[in-house]
Amino acid sequence: MRLIAASIWIGSPLVVALLAVLALVELGLLAWALVDLARRPADRVAGGSRLLWLLLCLFVQLIGPALYLVVGRVRAAPAEAPIREAVGGGGHVARAAAALYDAAGPRAPGADGGAPPGPAGDAEGIGPAVELVGVRKVFRTAAALDGLSLSVPEGSVFGFLGPNGAGKTTTLRILAGLARPTSGAAHVLGHDVTGAGGDVRAMIGFLPDVPAFYKWMTAPQYLRFAGSLFGLRGDVLDARVAALLDLAGLTGVGTRIGGFSRGMKQRLGVAQALVNAPRLLLLDEPTSALDPIGRREVLDMVAVLRGRTTVFFSTHILADVERVCDSVAIIDHGRVAAHAPIDELRLRRGGLSRLAVEVDEPQRLAAALEGAPWLRAVEVAEDGGLRLATDDLEAAQRELPALVARLGLALRRLESDELSLEDVFVDLVEGERR
Amino acid sequence: MRGFGAFLGKELRETVHTWRIWVLPAFILFAALSSPLITFLMPTLVDRLGGLQQGFAISVADPTASAAYAEYLGNLGELVMFALVIAYGGIVSSEVRSGTAALALAKPLSRGAFVLAKWLSQLLVIAVAAVIATAACIALTAVLLGVGPAPETVAAVALWFVYAIVILSAMVLLSAVLPAPAAAAGAGIGVYASFAVLAQFEATSRITPAGLMPAAQAVLNGEPAHWQAPVATGIAVSAACLAAAVWRFSRREI
Repeated sequence: MRLIAASIWIGSPLVVALLAVLALVELGLLAWALVDLARRPADRVAGGSRLLWLLLCLFVQLIGPALYLVVGRVRAAPAEAPIREAVGGGGHVARAAAALYDAAGPRAPGADGGAPPGPAGDAEGIGPAVELVGVRKVFRTAAALDGLSLSVPEGSVFGFLGPNGAGKTTTLRILAGLARPTSGAAHVLGHDVTGAGGDVRAMIGFLPDVPAFYKWMTAPQYLRFAGSLFGLRGDVLDARVAALLDLAGLTGVGTRIGGFSRGMKQRLGVAQALVNAPRLLLLDEPTSALDPIGRREVLDMVAVLRGRTTVFFSTHILADVERVCDSVAIIDHGRVAAHAPIDELRLRRGGLSRLAVEVDEPQRLAAALEGAPWLRAVEVAEDGGLRLATDDLEAAQRELPALVARLGLALRRLESDELSLEDVFVDLVEGERR
Repeated sequence: MRGFGAFLGKELRETVHTWRIWVLPAFILFAALSSPLITFLMPTLVDRLGGLQQGFAISVADPTASAAYAEYLGNLGELVMFALVIAYGGIVSSEVRSGTAALALAKPLSRGAFVLAKWLSQLLVIAVAAVIATAACIALTAVLLGVGPAPETVAAVALWFVYAIVILSAMVLLSAVLPAPAAAAGAGIGVYASFAVLAQFEATSRITPAGLMPAAQAVLNGEPAHWQAPVATGIAVSAACLAAAVWRFSRREI
């Protein structure tokens, strides 16, 4: 019986029918045995044993497999439909997102009739979409945010950069109304997020770093549910759900969300965040689980939303920020280390290049490099090679081999080293301190 | 109470689509069907299971419909209540732990609507299951043992339902306060045990929700029952539990 029950995992209707027939037959046999036990003058001890055995059989043969089947069917259900990964053509997602906002109107109002007129309502498009002033968030004794202050203009695409544990997710949770600051002020679209409640959330779309969905729902069901929480219904909801399924590449996917890949969940997460055509879109690491195609599509979508809505985009991938963001804030240990337009960030990054050098006596070369006009920093890496920071890459590439030759060293490797986010981060922090 | 209707719809659909539909309703139905059957078979079973020394005998009263209903009510008050406490230890907290609450509560769904929709959906499930199970119990009893005091049984089950509301409301509060479902279930068992103790004293049994089950048994037996005060305090305690749950959950970070 359990073997048959286990076969439900393949999702065959024939097996389900077979199990149903078997269950009915067993139920009949059990009833017959009970009636027989009650009627026949049997040996007392044997009768008692038989009753215990019958009760045991009742559990083993019926209740146990039934529970197993129920759990198995729920868990196996996602395998019933094929999972179709989205491979939409370039620009498809961006066009869908643009169409969504164009259909919703220029203000991208919430479904409840648009954003409520708040303190900043009259100055829409002029005031900041997000304003944090001295926000502190303390968990027990550790401060996740330590006086965070920043301002994000409405209509911009804002990159929120920082290493893991810097306080990015905590900031987003505060802006989404899921957490409260210990002190300081957090305003979204002119409203205090701690006091405005549903009025603010009606204007926000939020995608957490790891979106969790109801596994028993399908993607259309979830988007319909999400839309209904914003008061969407009827034709408007139907059209919005269809557009968002198209945007997420999930049209025609009848599989339950429990069977989705992480990328599919991430795309569904983006779609549900857009269901109300929000005036502020909060995205926490939206590209972290996506393959290159999915990542490009999400970035295209974010880019096309510029001017239509405000995007607050948390990530630790510098390339994503460079590609789509207007301005950026880098935070560390709960504080803003730098807050600059993306062009300024590029300028700082472009002003500093890295070189990786391997020679047979790195310490001698490091000593000889002291005082070179093009050299900003030099360090001996763990692998024994040298890492140079320079503000004149051409000069370094011209003079370094000559210096190695003069010292009589063997040059094994000389190549430019891509700057990481950490490099930029350190550079910016040091720049701020200077 | 923004988003209440939408979230209530989700809760009801979830009950049907997940394991929830099989747990409490199954327990209630099992109690309803097994009670008349066991009562009907008991004399025969005792006779068959005897094995006593010569000269000893166990006498069992003839099975009656009243005895079947009493067995059913006893099962509702113990077996089903225990299942209710265990099943609803995570009624609020499980969504917070899984992360699904974060997506829902970042939308204009109020915390109060979140809590009350969960409470109401499960109340509806228990109500529907109790109605179906009681009808099935009366029907099976009628076939095996005659109709008996069916109206009194319905009244007694109605009092049990008020008791179930109290326990469910307490579980909603405990689950809103305690993040771990197991901890809430443990505390719920404590609440259940406290009611069982209070029911043993006449003074507390007359005025507190602990008197609901004794009152239900009295109604079933056709005896004078002091049900008004336990019902009133039961509803008041339930309302207080829900208000406290909403207040606590509104301040909880997700």
